[in-house]
Amino acid sequence: MALLSSDTGSFERGRHRNRSRLSALPAIRMAACALAVLNAEPASAGDTVRISGLSDVAFGSISNFAGDSVQSQSLCLYSKSPPANNYRITASGSGPGGAFLLSSGSATLPFEVQWSDSAGQTTGSQLLPNQPLTAQHSPTGAGSADDCSSGPGTTASLVIILRSASLSAAASGSYNGTLSLLVAPE
Amino acid sequence: MKALGNRKCWPLIAVAVLAMPSAAFAATQGTAGSTSTGSISISATVPGRVQLSGLSDVAFGTVDPTVAAAQAEDVCVWSNTSGRGYTVTATGSGTSNAFTLSDGTNTIPYSVEWAGSSGQSSGTALASGTGLGGLSSTATNPTCSAGPTASASLIVRMSAASLQAAVASSYLGTLTLVVAPQ
Repeated sequence: MALLSSDTGSFERGRHRNRSRLSALPAIRMAACALAVLNAEPASAGDTVRISGLSDVAFGSISNFAGDSVQSQSLCLYSKSPPANNYRITASGSGPGGAFLLSSGSATLPFEVQWSDSAGQTTGSQLLPNQPLTAQHSPTGAGSADDCSSGPGTTASLVIILRSASLSAAASGSYNGTLSLLVAPE
Repeated sequence: MKALGNRKCWPLIAVAVLAMPSAAFAATQGTAGSTSTGSISISATVPGRVQLSGLSDVAFGTVDPTVAAAQAEDVCVWSNTSGRGYTVTATGSGTSNAFTLSDGTNTIPYSVEWAGSSGQSSGTALASGTGLGGLSSTATNPTCSAGPTASASLIVRMSAASLQAAVASSYLGTLTLVVAPQ
């Protein structure tokens, strides 16, 4: 929204400077609107985000194949991006193309990732590899520390799920992988 | 390369190697900026497991002693070893785990066969207490509730000779099957 506002402002100023550009305004304005829709709420200069408080996830030895194995954690997602302090988050795994896959030699074990913009949650919106989840809100902002040492201690939840079907289909072994989370202000 | 060949550098190299972090990945926290990236490691151990399910009791009913009797059933064996392998061992309820049915006094011997795929009416003969290996399962679910609905066949037989030698009566027995990862 910030880009759309500033772009519109420059169009208005340009209209006063050069009336010959006036005929092009509707098309440019439409293009600007389309850009704004495609890139919802891009950040403004000075917007700041930080993700911290992350912990490794160790499921240990799986004993129950009949149910999903779920681990969730609360963490600090700081976003200073007025007015709403919104952000987007993009996750990628260590599988091919960023797939959410753990590996044990040549064997793989898929996992799911969910995100909630509230702390203390055990479910959330599903994240897909390399696809941003937009319009997430952080209660932090001006007056909060970017590591949540002041203000809310934690602001978001990350949920990792090993589905029963995946566990049952996986070959026995020790599986490892990594998950990267990229946040950007909106 | 010259530096590596200099013996004075070896202690430094040794110290550097010792100071290297272990291969274990640890969570990294993002820093404040226009974007921020954090990462975590995820680990899980899937232990070797097998499961036998889908067994049904075998009831021959009233049998004609002049004709051999056989009953086959599809069962589910799930194994999660790398080759989906398993062994199966059968024991009966007769003396020394023999495959015999009993009316309390008299007995009828029966035989047991196992096939590593479903829908079979014959298989490899099992000896009581002796494992049959080299089997692999196609099951992707411990109870075959998803994927293949069965993955093996159990066949129980009574020969005509055994039936003819048996005293007329009602016979009962128990067959126990143990599967193990292989």
